[in-house]
Amino acid sequence: MSKLLEIKNLSVHFNLIGRHVQAVRGVDLDLNEGETLAIVGESGSGKSVTSKAIMGLIPNPPGEIVKGSSILFEGKDLVSYTEKQLEKVRGKEISMIFQDPMTALNPTMKIGKQIMEGLIKHQGMSKHDARNRAIELLKLVGIPKPEVRVDEYPHQFSGGMRQRVVIAIALACNPKVLIADEPTTALDVTIQAQILDLMRDLQKKTKTAIILITHDLGVVANMAQRVAVMYGGKVVETGMIDEIFYNPKHPYTWGLLSSMPKLHATTDKLLAIPGSPPDLANPPKGCPFAARCPYAMKVCTDHMPEYTELSSTQKAACWLLDERAPKVDPPETIGVGGTKNG
Amino acid sequence: MGRYILKRIGYMCITFYVVITLTFLSMKMLPGTPFQNPKLTPTQINQLKHYYGLDQPIAVQYVKYMWNLLHGDMGGSFQFGNESVTALLMNKFPVSLDLGLEAIILGAVIGLLLGIIAGLHHGKAMDWSTMIFAAIGTSIPSFIFAGVLQYFLGVYVRAFPVAGWNGPSYHFLPVVSLAVGVVAEIALFMRTEMVEVINQDYIVTAQAKGLSRFTVVYKHAIRNALIPVVTILGPLTAAIITGSLVIENIFGIPGIGSQYVSSIVTNDYPMIMGTTELYAGLFILSIFVVDILYGVIDPRIRVSGGQA
Repeated sequence: MSKLLEIKNLSVHFNLIGRHVQAVRGVDLDLNEGETLAIVGESGSGKSVTSKAIMGLIPNPPGEIVKGSSILFEGKDLVSYTEKQLEKVRGKEISMIFQDPMTALNPTMKIGKQIMEGLIKHQGMSKHDARNRAIELLKLVGIPKPEVRVDEYPHQFSGGMRQRVVIAIALACNPKVLIADEPTTALDVTIQAQILDLMRDLQKKTKTAIILITHDLGVVANMAQRVAVMYGGKVVETGMIDEIFYNPKHPYTWGLLSSMPKLHATTDKLLAIPGSPPDLANPPKGCPFAARCPYAMKVCTDHMPEYTELSSTQKAACWLLDERAPKVDPPETIGVGGTKNG
Repeated sequence: MGRYILKRIGYMCITFYVVITLTFLSMKMLPGTPFQNPKLTPTQINQLKHYYGLDQPIAVQYVKYMWNLLHGDMGGSFQFGNESVTALLMNKFPVSLDLGLEAIILGAVIGLLLGIIAGLHHGKAMDWSTMIFAAIGTSIPSFIFAGVLQYFLGVYVRAFPVAGWNGPSYHFLPVVSLAVGVVAEIALFMRTEMVEVINQDYIVTAQAKGLSRFTVVYKHAIRNALIPVVTILGPLTAAIITGSLVIENIFGIPGIGSQYVSSIVTNDYPMIMGTTELYAGLFILSIFVVDILYGVIDPRIRVSGGQA
């Protein structure tokens, strides 16, 4: 597998009135062909901003991608692309599925036309061909009677059906990368499972690489091969899915796993990570999680830890992994297999 | 759709009937009589009243009026030598309609353009300058503009005739004076809608498809932003066509406005009724047209379209 997408030192800042928010602070990520990478983290951790930066959809102003950031797609740096060049990447090479299907579709345009737009633009199809392809795509995403529904408007579709349409739009031009920004958050649980199944099936057929942005670790376990955990605008830990679930090393990852509700839990309590995420207008000098971390040491608040390579695929940024740090065992509550690492 | 239109027409008739009745009753409460000439003796006045049926109870007069109206007869004007009200209206109304339509079309086109541009440049100089212009345009009455334009372009530069209605060059000043308010109102409204629409998720979806900025704005933003604007366009059109009274006076335009005022001053009952009916009819019709247009633009409110 070769690297399709390589994000290096990505920083995105927003100049708001009286505030300079550093939403993403030096993120490194890469995506291999055909794989699914999950980016997890709580609200405000920078995961959505990262995905918008890949699409070149950071509104400027107020947003800006800081100098020194690079997003290499097949070796070419998207950060240096002009708007015209980006238009040729969006929807064709990299496309996106959004969180809320109720608002992601234009209410005054027929479903079919919304799918056809990209086909006409990127593949130079005639209206007639694009329409046939749109019907095909609707069939592919499991919409019954596609030849009728192609001429309907979004309000005639249910939430789950709309999300299928959004997926059809995103996959229309066979993109190499699909960014799914919390694709199931706004759907009810039974529909969530259907949409995830659909995405998995389609990925098998199309070999599209997926970046799945979510805060639902259950979804991650079902979908992803690799995970990046983001906190305070930084990636604090990455690894293969087994490494993150069975051998997590960062206290924030522990916290995330602990806060996942479990079916066979011995207590009724839902575990939360106390405190709130850092204010990214005044980001902390050291580790962003230090203020909420039960294991925080003095060094944590003063210096940002470097990554420690734990395997060829797993690394984490935590002072506990420094050889001078005291040995700490992860809490029992992380559940899935936390005791395995001794 | 057919059933919906029929139902709407039914409601329109009811509205129209209520307007006529209320106007008739309130008109009868106006002080004075149509026969104000001091030379008339009381016997002559009574004779005239009897001749026009004004000595009968209001209920009888009302029924008679409605009966005649149903047969298309609006009666004769008291002040214009018993000339038929229908003929008088038909004579003067086209001028007012012409003036009003020109102003609304000019105002709507410029207003929409300004609103779209301002909305797209939200928070920037273009936005601010449009807002300031709109604030001025909505708060200063049209007759002030009329006077200023008359002085500078009519008297000072002599580019356009100061008053009258004898050809295209005469249209410019009154149409522009009327249009300023329309431009301001529509620009303000359209700007607000554009700002809101531009921040919707489906705009991001459209961008994420790789569409150009122009296509995103033209195909996705404008149509959605237009929906609420269309709602004000109908009443605004009716208001401009019927409300150009002051402008007609300033520019000496032989429209329906001055005739309406003089009919109220002289208690010219049939003329008051006729003009009100025309205005009310226009207004009701414009709202109806807007509702139909609304359905054309917004598929969500395509009323019982039957294809759902």
